[in-house]
This record gives sequence, structure tokens and C-alpha cells, in this order.
Amino acid sequence: MNTPCASPIAETTLAAYWLCEMDSSDSQAIEEHLFACGHCSARLQRLANLGAGIRQAVEKGAAHAVLSAAFVRKLKDAGLRVREYPVQPGASVACTIEPEDDLVVSRLCAPLVDVQRLDLVFEHPAAGTRHRLEDLAFDRNADEIVVASNTPFVRSLGSTTLHMRLLAVQPDGERELGLYTFNHSPYTR
Amino acid sequence: MQMFSTAAGRPYARNVYSPAPQPEDGELAQRILAAGTRRDADAETELCRRFAPRIRLYGLRHLRSEAAAADLVQDVLILTLEKLRGGAVREFDKLASFILGTCRQTVIDGRRGGQRRERILETFAPTMDAVSEDSDVALDNSRLEHCLQQLPERERSVLVMSFYDDRPADEVGAALGLTPGNVRVIRHRGIERLRRCVEEQRS
Repeated sequence: MNTPCASPIAETTLAAYWLCEMDSSDSQAIEEHLFACGHCSARLQRLANLGAGIRQAVEKGAAHAVLSAAFVRKLKDAGLRVREYPVQPGASVACTIEPEDDLVVSRLCAPLVDVQRLDLVFEHPAAGTRHRLEDLAFDRNADEIVVASNTPFVRSLGSTTLHMRLLAVQPDGERELGLYTFNHSPYTR
Repeated sequence: MQMFSTAAGRPYARNVYSPAPQPEDGELAQRILAAGTRRDADAETELCRRFAPRIRLYGLRHLRSEAAAADLVQDVLILTLEKLRGGAVREFDKLASFILGTCRQTVIDGRRGGQRRERILETFAPTMDAVSEDSDVALDNSRLEHCLQQLPERERSVLVMSFYDDRPADEVGAALGLTPGNVRVIRHRGIERLRRCVEEQRS
């Protein structure tokens, strides 16, 4: 549909433009190009669509992800109903999800200040599954990891126990920072 | 060759290349002017089809609201058609720049809404019907959700926190203990991986 562009805007530049990382004069130059170029404006449209899809996934609770406490506050400010479970290392918590909840968030407390690399292991003993997330992005000064669960998955669970295990990965091996146990029950009125 | 780059940290648009306007833009403008009050519906519809997505993106980028962006599309297209019909646009080969300038001025003026808009919307209703989202770039969200879950954890965190409400790299980096440069790299990889996954599943 669109004539190919002889000098396409780099993908990184399109993202920087879309996320307002440029100064005004650079943004205006990009806009001049975009208005004259159907090819690049269609590429920006695709990027915008990806962003909108990600936003919808978050709002549906379909984005299982490690986030930040500030980001969760932002979700709540935006009107999402977020159920939070703070857990200390070695502790367990009784948990559920109510029909009105949009998102369930686990706040795993842990000393992170000297951690170089952090992995998170999910264990579901009843199902015999173990899943490891490697190299999380985390703030060393936060003293907690904020994990948003996949809401449809949590809703599908019966009464069961799940574990999360935080591991600090070092050149000489790994050490466990904490084991967190979630005793889940389906919601009953 | 890519003229824009982020490699050096800042300048994104040094020696900016502006593609030559497609001659069709100028031809459309001439046809709309020549028709005057008789109206060349085909030319007007094509102009709207071509520029509505670009105006909408501009609106989303600057106003961060679907409704406001939709209003901007209508206001700018109506104003553009009025000016073209009335012979107020003199440089047909700079139609894209004219429309961009109209977008900027409309956003600055904040003159969306109001009685004038309602009145001229009736006049232009048939042409505005041509304005709809380009299905070529529409996205299957369930497919995207699946692909989002396939990303490495770090990329998923960065993409979610970047695109949930369109935050720049320095903010996302501060929340996740990453430098802005690192966020941009992770973000770029994540976007590419996500796009590939979505397109593979589509094909």
C-alpha cells in the first residue's frame, strides 16, 4: 500500500519519538518525515498498536511480569483493582482472587542490595511443574520484588500450594534469598 | 540507509532527511481545488484515507487520548479540505507539511469541540466516513498476549512499564535499576522479538 521509504527512520528512533525521549526540534523533524511518508507512519502505527496491546494485556491481568511498587501504585491510581500479598522470606500466606480483582501481585521481601543477578523460580508441586525466570530487572534499593501474576491462570486454580523462590546468582554459584509459599483457595462468597 | 540514529545517545535527527512528497498528494490537492463547491469526492476521500492515520498518531503522541486524537483527525481534515476548496493552500507539493502545521496549531489552540465543529461535521460527513483505522496494521491482542509471555523476563518488564502509559527510558530505568541506555537496548530487543512472534503466528 505504501511506497517504500528511501531513508526509513530507525526503529529505535521511532520508539524514542513515541515515548517522548527527544527534544522538541528532533521530534519536529521526525514528524515532518512521518507526515510525508506513508511507509514510516505505518511502521509507527504498528509500534503504537504493540503498545496498545501491551496496555490491554496489563489491564486484563494477562501480563505476568516483574514490576515495581511505583508501577503498581500507578495501576491502582488508574482504577485497576489490585490484590497484593507481601511475604517475608520463609513465610507463607493464604491467598485468593475475587471476581472484581483485575490483578494479583506478590511482593517478595528480600535483601537485594548486594545482588548482581536475580532469578525467580515458580514451583507448583501438585502439578509437578517448575519454571525459572532468569536475570530479572530489579532495583537493589527496593528490598522487594513485585511480581504480577497472570490473572486468568490464578482464576483457574483450585485449592493448591505454590512456591516462589528468589535466587541470587553469583560467579561462585547461587544462594537462596527466600522461599515464599502461597496457599491458594478459590474465591467463595 | 537509515538517516536517523540513536547510537550516539542523543541526536536523533541530525541531517534530517525529509522524503520527497508523493506527487499524488499535490494532484489530490489540485483536484480538490479545481472541483470547488462541486466537490471531487474521490479525491477528498483519498486525502482523508491517506492522512487520517498520520494525524491520529500525532494526536495520540501529543494528547495521549483516543477520543482527543479522533477529534483532532476530524478537525484537521475538515480544516484542510476547507482551505483546499477555498484555494488557501498555494503550495500543493507541501500538502503534508501544511497538514502537520495544522495539527500543531490545532493542538496549541486547543480548539477542538464546539458548535463550529458540529456544523461543519455535517457538511463533511460523507468524506469523514472514509476515515477508519487501517486494518493492515491492526493487531490480534490474544496473539500479542501469548507472545508477551514468551519474552525473556527482563524484556517483558521493560515493555510493560514502558508502554502501559508510554514512559521514557530514564523513568523505567530508575524503577528497575537500569540505565536509560540499557532500557533502550532491552526495549528494542523486546519490540523486535514481540513483533517477530506476532508476525510468525499470523503467517
